Amino acid sequence: MVLFVVAIAAFERAAAHHSFTAEFDANQPLKLTGSVTKVEWTNPHVWFFMDVKSQDGSVTNWGFEMASTSQLLRAGWKRDSMKIGDIVTVDARRARDGTDHANAQNVTLANTGQRLFAGSPTQ
Amino acid sequence: MLVYKTALRGAMLALILSCMAGTAVGQWLSLPLPGTPRNADGKPNLSAPTPRTADGKPDLTGLWHAENMRYNANLLPAGTQAPMLPWAADLYKHRVDTQGYDRPMTRCMPHGVPDAMTVAPLPFKVLQTPNVTVVLFEEFNKYRQIHTDGRQLPVDPDPAWYGYSVGRWEGDTFVVETAGFKEGTWLDDSGHPHTDALRTTERFRRINFGRMDLDVTIDDPKAYSRPWTSDTIHFLLQPDTELLEHLCENNRDIEHLENFWKGQQQAAPSTTGKQ
Repeated sequence: MVLFVVAIAAFERAAAHHSFTAEFDANQPLKLTGSVTKVEWTNPHVWFFMDVKSQDGSVTNWGFEMASTSQLLRAGWKRDSMKIGDIVTVDARRARDGTDHANAQNVTLANTGQRLFAGSPTQ
Repeated sequence: MLVYKTALRGAMLALILSCMAGTAVGQWLSLPLPGTPRNADGKPNLSAPTPRTADGKPDLTGLWHAENMRYNANLLPAGTQAPMLPWAADLYKHRVDTQGYDRPMTRCMPHGVPDAMTVAPLPFKVLQTPNVTVVLFEEFNKYRQIHTDGRQLPVDPDPAWYGYSVGRWEGDTFVVETAGFKEGTWLDDSGHPHTDALRTTERFRRINFGRMDLDVTIDDPKAYSRPWTSDTIHFLLQPDTELLEHLCENNRDIEHLENFWKGQQQAAPSTTGKQ
Protein backbone atom coordinates (compact mmCIF):
# COMPACT_ATOMS: atom_id res chain seq x y z
CA MET A 1 0.00 0.00 0.00
CA VAL A 2 2.80 2.35 0.94
CA LEU A 3 4.54 1.48 -2.28
CA PHE A 4 1.44 2.30 -4.26
CA VAL A 5 1.08 5.72 -2.65
CA VAL A 6 4.71 6.53 -3.35
CA ALA A 7 4.25 5.36 -6.88
CA ILE A 8 1.30 7.61 -7.56
CA ALA A 9 3.19 10.60 -6.17
CA ALA A 10 5.90 9.88 -8.70
CA PHE A 11 3.48 9.78 -11.61
CA GLU A 12 3.75 13.35 -12.75
CA ARG A 13 7.50 13.19 -12.67
CA ALA A 14 7.65 10.26 -15.01
CA ALA A 15 9.12 10.92 -18.41
CA ALA A 16 10.85 9.23 -21.26
CA HIS A 17 14.18 9.71 -22.90
CA HIS A 18 12.24 9.87 -26.14
CA SER A 19 8.95 11.12 -27.47
CA PHE A 20 6.21 9.00 -25.90
CA THR A 21 3.57 10.05 -28.39
CA ALA A 22 5.73 9.13 -31.38
CA GLU A 23 6.06 5.55 -30.16
CA PHE A 24 2.94 4.77 -28.12
CA ASP A 25 -0.73 5.57 -28.49
CA ALA A 26 -2.46 6.85 -25.35
CA ASN A 27 -5.77 5.96 -27.03
CA GLN A 28 -4.91 2.26 -27.18
CA PRO A 29 -5.06 1.10 -23.55
CA LEU A 30 -4.33 -2.56 -22.90
CA LYS A 31 -4.81 -4.78 -19.89
CA LEU A 32 -2.97 -8.07 -20.24
CA THR A 33 -2.13 -10.92 -17.91
CA GLY A 34 0.70 -13.32 -18.57
CA SER A 35 3.79 -15.11 -17.38
CA VAL A 36 7.08 -13.19 -17.25
CA THR A 37 9.73 -14.61 -19.60
CA LYS A 38 12.49 -11.99 -19.39
CA VAL A 39 13.36 -8.87 -17.38
CA GLU A 40 15.90 -6.35 -18.65
CA TRP A 41 16.79 -4.16 -15.65
CA THR A 42 18.52 -1.56 -17.83
CA ASN A 43 18.57 2.09 -18.88
CA PRO A 44 17.32 4.26 -20.39
CA HIS A 45 14.32 2.01 -19.87
CA VAL A 46 13.56 -1.18 -18.03
CA TRP A 47 11.87 -3.76 -20.27
CA PHE A 48 10.13 -6.98 -19.48
CA PHE A 49 8.52 -9.65 -21.63
CA MET A 50 5.69 -12.02 -20.92
CA ASP A 51 3.74 -14.77 -22.64
CA VAL A 52 0.07 -13.97 -23.04
CA LYS A 53 -2.39 -16.74 -23.91
CA SER A 54 -5.27 -15.82 -26.16
CA GLN A 55 -8.71 -17.45 -26.08
CA ASP A 56 -7.81 -19.79 -28.94
CA GLY A 57 -4.82 -21.06 -26.95
CA SER A 58 -2.12 -19.38 -28.99
CA VAL A 59 0.65 -17.64 -27.08
CA THR A 60 2.13 -14.23 -27.88
CA ASN A 61 5.25 -12.85 -26.28
CA TRP A 62 4.69 -9.16 -25.43
CA GLY A 63 7.36 -6.61 -24.55
CA PHE A 64 6.71 -3.76 -22.11
CA GLU A 65 8.70 -0.60 -21.64
CA MET A 66 8.89 0.97 -18.21
CA ALA A 67 10.82 3.97 -16.85
CA SER A 68 14.53 4.08 -15.97
CA THR A 69 15.96 1.91 -13.20
CA SER A 70 16.37 5.05 -11.07
CA GLN A 71 12.72 6.04 -11.51
CA LEU A 72 11.52 2.52 -10.67
CA LEU A 73 13.77 2.31 -7.60
CA ARG A 74 12.37 5.62 -6.38
CA ALA A 75 8.84 4.32 -7.01
CA GLY A 76 9.43 1.32 -4.78
CA TRP A 77 10.73 -1.33 -7.17
CA LYS A 78 13.71 -3.55 -6.61
CA ARG A 79 15.59 -5.21 -9.42
CA ASP A 80 14.11 -8.55 -8.38
CA SER A 81 10.54 -7.35 -7.74
CA MET A 82 9.47 -9.27 -10.83
CA LYS A 83 10.92 -12.69 -11.59
CA ILE A 84 10.78 -15.03 -14.54
CA GLY A 85 7.66 -17.16 -14.24
CA ASP A 86 5.74 -14.58 -12.18
CA ILE A 87 2.16 -14.04 -13.25
CA VAL A 88 1.53 -10.33 -13.66
CA THR A 89 -1.22 -8.06 -14.94
CA VAL A 90 -0.16 -4.98 -16.84
CA ASP A 91 -2.00 -1.76 -17.64
CA ALA A 92 -0.30 -0.44 -20.75
CA ARG A 93 -0.58 1.63 -23.89
CA ARG A 94 0.13 -0.07 -27.17
CA ALA A 95 2.83 0.85 -29.67
CA ARG A 96 1.69 2.81 -32.69
CA ASP A 97 3.45 0.48 -35.11
CA GLY A 98 1.15 -2.40 -34.17
CA THR A 99 3.95 -4.65 -32.90
CA ASP A 100 3.46 -6.63 -29.72
CA HIS A 101 5.00 -4.11 -27.40
CA ALA A 102 3.57 -1.44 -25.18
CA ASN A 103 4.32 1.10 -22.50
CA ALA A 104 3.47 -0.22 -19.05
CA GLN A 105 1.61 2.04 -16.61
CA ASN A 106 1.10 -0.27 -13.66
CA VAL A 107 2.13 -3.81 -12.92
CA THR A 108 0.26 -6.00 -10.46
CA LEU A 109 2.07 -9.08 -9.14
CA ALA A 110 -0.41 -11.96 -8.83
CA ASN A 111 1.37 -13.83 -6.01
CA THR A 112 1.48 -10.84 -3.64
CA GLY A 113 -1.22 -8.58 -5.04
CA GLN A 114 1.35 -5.81 -4.97
CA ARG A 115 0.67 -3.11 -7.56
CA LEU A 116 3.65 -1.14 -8.74
CA PHE A 117 3.73 1.99 -10.80
CA ALA A 118 5.84 1.45 -13.89
CA GLY A 119 7.00 5.03 -14.20
CA SER A 120 5.61 5.28 -17.67
CA PRO A 121 6.66 8.10 -19.91
CA THR A 122 3.97 10.72 -20.25
CA GLN A 123 5.14 12.57 -23.32
CA MET B 1 15.30 20.55 32.53
CA LEU B 2 18.68 19.64 31.12
CA VAL B 3 17.94 15.99 31.74
CA TYR B 4 14.61 16.37 29.99
CA LYS B 5 16.24 18.01 26.96
CA THR B 6 18.92 15.35 26.80
CA ALA B 7 16.29 12.64 26.99
CA LEU B 8 14.29 14.35 24.29
CA ARG B 9 17.35 14.59 22.06
CA GLY B 10 18.07 10.94 22.70
CA ALA B 11 14.51 10.02 21.77
CA MET B 12 14.71 12.13 18.60
CA LEU B 13 17.99 10.53 17.61
CA ALA B 14 16.53 7.09 18.18
CA LEU B 15 13.52 8.05 16.08
CA ILE B 16 15.70 9.35 13.25
CA LEU B 17 17.91 6.28 13.37
CA SER B 18 14.91 3.94 13.38
CA CYS B 19 13.41 5.79 10.42
CA MET B 20 16.70 5.45 8.61
CA ALA B 21 16.98 1.79 9.44
CA GLY B 22 13.47 1.25 8.12
CA THR B 23 14.26 2.73 4.75
CA ALA B 24 17.85 1.65 4.34
CA VAL B 25 18.32 -0.47 1.27
CA GLY B 26 21.35 -1.57 -0.68
CA GLN B 27 21.21 1.50 -2.88
CA TRP B 28 21.68 4.99 -1.42
CA LEU B 29 18.04 5.77 -2.06
CA SER B 30 17.42 7.03 1.42
CA LEU B 31 20.10 8.24 3.77
CA PRO B 32 20.46 11.25 6.06
CA LEU B 33 22.71 13.77 4.35
CA PRO B 34 24.81 16.02 6.60
CA GLY B 35 24.10 19.74 6.44
CA THR B 36 20.35 19.17 6.10
CA PRO B 37 18.26 21.27 8.52
CA ARG B 38 15.65 19.08 10.20
CA ASN B 39 12.30 19.46 11.90
CA ALA B 40 11.62 17.99 15.33
CA ASP B 41 10.45 14.77 13.68
CA GLY B 42 13.80 14.38 11.91
CA LYS B 43 12.44 15.16 8.45
CA PRO B 44 14.32 17.68 6.29
CA ASN B 45 13.12 21.24 6.85
CA LEU B 46 12.74 22.33 3.25
CA SER B 47 11.58 25.83 4.16
CA ALA B 48 14.70 26.54 6.24
CA PRO B 49 16.73 29.58 5.12
CA THR B 50 19.02 29.42 2.10
CA PRO B 51 22.36 27.92 3.14
CA ARG B 52 25.41 30.10 2.57
CA THR B 53 29.07 29.50 1.89
CA ALA B 54 31.89 30.86 4.05
CA ASP B 55 32.02 34.05 1.96
CA GLY B 56 28.33 34.69 2.54
CA LYS B 57 27.09 33.74 -0.95
CA PRO B 58 24.07 31.47 -1.29
CA ASP B 59 25.14 27.85 -1.63
CA LEU B 60 23.34 26.13 -4.51
CA THR B 61 24.78 22.73 -3.59
CA GLY B 62 22.21 19.97 -3.52
CA LEU B 63 20.23 17.42 -5.51
CA TRP B 64 17.52 19.18 -7.52
CA HIS B 65 14.71 18.37 -9.93
CA ALA B 66 12.29 20.51 -11.89
CA GLU B 67 8.90 20.62 -10.16
CA ASN B 68 7.17 19.22 -13.25
CA MET B 69 7.75 18.52 -16.95
CA ARG B 70 6.12 21.74 -18.13
CA TYR B 71 9.43 23.57 -18.78
CA ASN B 72 10.89 20.59 -20.54
CA ALA B 73 7.88 20.44 -22.83
CA ASN B 74 8.12 24.15 -23.64
CA LEU B 75 10.57 26.66 -22.21
CA LEU B 76 8.39 29.70 -22.87
CA PRO B 77 5.86 31.31 -20.55
CA ALA B 78 2.39 29.87 -21.26
CA GLY B 79 0.60 31.56 -24.13
CA THR B 80 3.73 33.15 -25.60
CA GLN B 81 5.78 32.34 -28.68
CA ALA B 82 9.48 32.60 -29.38
CA PRO B 83 10.44 35.25 -32.00
CA MET B 84 11.73 32.66 -34.47
CA LEU B 85 13.22 33.56 -37.84
CA PRO B 86 11.35 31.87 -40.72
CA TRP B 87 13.74 28.89 -41.11
CA ALA B 88 13.63 28.27 -37.36
CA ALA B 89 9.82 28.48 -37.35
CA ASP B 90 9.68 25.93 -40.21
CA LEU B 91 12.00 23.56 -38.40
CA TYR B 92 10.10 23.98 -35.12
CA LYS B 93 6.79 23.27 -36.85
CA HIS B 94 8.22 20.10 -38.38
CA ARG B 95 9.47 18.93 -34.99
CA VAL B 96 6.05 19.53 -33.43
CA ASP B 97 4.16 17.94 -36.36
CA THR B 98 6.32 14.80 -36.26
CA GLN B 99 6.20 14.55 -32.47
CA GLY B 100 9.89 15.07 -32.10
CA TYR B 101 11.53 13.92 -35.32
CA ASP B 102 15.09 12.83 -34.52
CA ARG B 103 15.13 14.41 -31.08
CA PRO B 104 18.68 13.93 -29.71
CA MET B 105 17.53 11.78 -26.77
CA THR B 106 16.11 9.32 -29.25
CA ARG B 107 19.72 8.40 -30.03
CA CYS B 108 20.75 8.65 -26.38
CA MET B 109 22.32 12.07 -26.77
CA PRO B 110 21.49 14.13 -23.68
CA HIS B 111 19.43 17.26 -23.24
CA GLY B 112 21.53 20.44 -23.30
CA VAL B 113 21.45 23.97 -21.89
CA PRO B 114 19.08 24.62 -20.28
CA ASP B 115 16.84 21.61 -20.74
CA ALA B 116 19.12 19.00 -19.11
CA MET B 117 17.89 20.59 -15.86
CA THR B 118 14.20 20.35 -16.76
CA VAL B 119 13.90 16.56 -17.10
CA ALA B 120 11.88 16.34 -13.90
CA PRO B 121 12.21 12.63 -12.99
CA LEU B 122 15.98 12.56 -13.48
CA PRO B 123 17.57 14.91 -10.93
CA PHE B 124 20.82 16.87 -11.15
CA LYS B 125 23.36 17.57 -8.46
CA VAL B 126 24.98 20.97 -7.97
CA LEU B 127 28.38 21.07 -6.25
CA GLN B 128 29.41 24.64 -5.57
CA THR B 129 33.09 25.35 -4.81
CA PRO B 130 34.92 28.70 -4.81
CA ASN B 131 36.38 28.36 -8.31
CA VAL B 132 33.94 26.11 -10.12
CA THR B 133 30.35 24.95 -9.79
CA VAL B 134 29.81 21.47 -11.17
CA VAL B 135 26.45 20.18 -12.32
CA LEU B 136 26.08 16.42 -12.49
CA PHE B 137 23.11 15.21 -14.51
CA GLU B 138 21.59 11.85 -13.69
CA GLU B 139 20.36 11.57 -17.28
CA PHE B 140 23.03 9.60 -19.14
CA ASN B 141 25.62 10.39 -16.40
CA LYS B 142 26.68 13.73 -17.90
CA TYR B 143 28.22 16.82 -16.31
CA ARG B 144 28.69 20.53 -16.85
CA GLN B 145 31.20 22.98 -15.32
CA ILE B 146 30.57 26.66 -14.52
CA HIS B 147 33.86 28.44 -13.86
CA THR B 148 33.94 31.18 -11.23
CA ASP B 149 37.69 31.83 -11.06
CA GLY B 150 37.47 35.04 -13.06
CA ARG B 151 38.30 33.60 -16.47
CA GLN B 152 36.58 34.98 -19.56
CA LEU B 153 34.58 32.97 -22.07
CA PRO B 154 36.95 31.46 -24.66
CA VAL B 155 37.33 33.10 -28.07
CA ASP B 156 36.49 30.80 -31.00
CA PRO B 157 36.30 27.60 -28.95
CA ASP B 158 35.70 24.17 -30.37
CA PRO B 159 31.89 24.01 -30.33
CA ALA B 160 30.57 21.89 -27.45
CA TRP B 161 27.25 20.26 -26.60
CA TYR B 162 26.95 22.20 -23.28
CA GLY B 163 29.04 25.16 -24.47
CA TYR B 164 31.49 26.95 -22.13
CA SER B 165 30.20 28.54 -18.94
CA VAL B 166 31.41 31.23 -16.54
CA GLY B 167 29.50 32.38 -13.47
CA ARG B 168 29.39 35.44 -11.23
CA TRP B 169 27.26 36.70 -8.36
CA GLU B 170 24.93 39.66 -8.66
CA GLY B 171 23.73 40.01 -5.08
CA ASP B 172 22.14 36.66 -4.25
CA THR B 173 21.68 35.70 -7.92
CA PHE B 174 24.15 33.34 -9.59
CA VAL B 175 24.47 34.55 -13.19
CA VAL B 176 25.87 32.06 -15.70
CA GLU B 177 26.91 33.09 -19.22
CA THR B 178 27.41 30.31 -21.75
CA ALA B 179 28.61 30.39 -25.36
CA GLY B 180 30.48 28.13 -27.79
CA PHE B 181 27.58 25.78 -28.42
CA LYS B 182 27.45 23.02 -30.97
CA GLU B 183 24.25 22.93 -33.00
CA GLY B 184 22.84 19.71 -31.69
CA THR B 185 20.70 20.27 -28.67
CA TRP B 186 17.12 21.45 -28.64
CA LEU B 187 16.20 24.16 -26.15
CA ASP B 188 13.21 22.09 -25.06
CA ASP B 189 11.41 18.91 -26.06
CA SER B 190 8.94 20.71 -28.29
CA GLY B 191 11.98 21.55 -30.41
CA HIS B 192 12.95 25.22 -30.19
CA PRO B 193 16.18 25.22 -32.22
CA HIS B 194 19.43 27.10 -31.82
CA THR B 195 22.58 27.68 -33.84
CA ASP B 196 26.25 28.03 -32.91
CA ALA B 197 25.57 31.74 -32.31
CA LEU B 198 23.57 30.92 -29.16
CA ARG B 199 24.47 32.65 -25.91
CA THR B 200 22.52 31.83 -22.80
CA THR B 201 22.29 33.78 -19.56
CA GLU B 202 20.99 31.75 -16.64
CA ARG B 203 19.94 33.43 -13.39
CA PHE B 204 19.74 31.04 -10.42
CA ARG B 205 18.18 32.06 -7.12
CA ARG B 206 17.99 29.70 -4.17
CA ILE B 207 14.77 30.79 -2.46
CA ASN B 208 15.23 28.67 0.66
CA PHE B 209 16.67 25.28 1.55
CA GLY B 210 14.14 23.42 -0.57
CA ARG B 211 13.54 25.68 -3.59
CA MET B 212 15.57 27.23 -6.40
CA ASP B 213 14.36 29.32 -9.35
CA LEU B 214 15.94 29.90 -12.74
CA ASP B 215 15.29 32.29 -15.62
CA VAL B 216 17.14 31.67 -18.87
CA THR B 217 17.63 34.27 -21.59
CA ILE B 218 18.16 32.93 -25.09
CA ASP B 219 20.16 35.16 -27.42
CA ASP B 220 20.70 33.62 -30.86
CA PRO B 221 20.50 36.19 -33.67
CA LYS B 222 20.79 33.44 -36.31
CA ALA B 223 17.59 31.77 -35.09
CA TYR B 224 15.58 34.47 -33.28
CA SER B 225 14.84 38.10 -34.14
CA ARG B 226 15.52 39.24 -30.55
CA PRO B 227 16.60 37.74 -27.22
CA TRP B 228 13.83 36.12 -25.20
CA THR B 229 13.50 34.80 -21.67
CA SER B 230 12.09 31.50 -20.46
CA ASP B 231 9.29 31.04 -18.00
CA THR B 232 10.65 31.01 -14.45
CA ILE B 233 11.69 27.40 -13.86
CA HIS B 234 11.04 26.08 -10.36
CA PHE B 235 13.32 23.42 -8.89
CA LEU B 236 12.69 21.39 -5.74
CA LEU B 237 15.39 19.92 -3.55
CA GLN B 238 15.36 16.12 -3.43
CA PRO B 239 16.58 15.58 0.15
CA ASP B 240 18.36 12.64 1.72
CA THR B 241 18.95 10.71 -1.49
CA GLU B 242 21.57 10.32 -4.19
CA LEU B 243 22.03 10.31 -7.95
CA LEU B 244 21.63 6.88 -9.48
CA GLU B 245 23.37 5.56 -12.58
CA HIS B 246 21.58 6.13 -15.87
CA LEU B 247 23.67 5.00 -18.82
CA CYS B 248 22.05 4.28 -22.16
CA GLU B 249 22.78 0.59 -22.50
CA ASN B 250 19.55 -0.75 -23.95
CA ASN B 251 17.88 1.62 -26.40
CA ARG B 252 15.06 -0.50 -27.77
CA ASP B 253 12.97 2.49 -28.83
CA ILE B 254 14.96 3.71 -31.77
CA GLU B 255 13.77 0.98 -34.17
CA HIS B 256 10.11 1.75 -33.49
CA LEU B 257 10.64 5.51 -33.69
CA GLU B 258 12.44 5.19 -37.02
CA ASN B 259 9.45 3.23 -38.32
CA PHE B 260 7.12 5.98 -37.15
CA TRP B 261 9.26 8.72 -38.73
CA LYS B 262 9.84 6.97 -42.05
CA GLY B 263 9.25 9.44 -44.87
CA GLN B 264 8.84 12.38 -42.50
CA GLN B 265 12.30 13.90 -43.00
CA GLN B 266 12.40 17.63 -43.53
CA ALA B 267 14.28 19.27 -46.37
CA ALA B 268 17.40 20.97 -45.01
CA PRO B 269 16.47 24.35 -43.55
CA SER B 270 18.29 27.46 -44.71
CA THR B 271 20.72 27.69 -41.85
CA THR B 272 24.44 27.25 -41.92
CA GLY B 273 24.60 24.50 -39.38
CA LYS B 274 23.66 20.88 -39.02
CA GLN B 275 20.17 20.28 -37.68
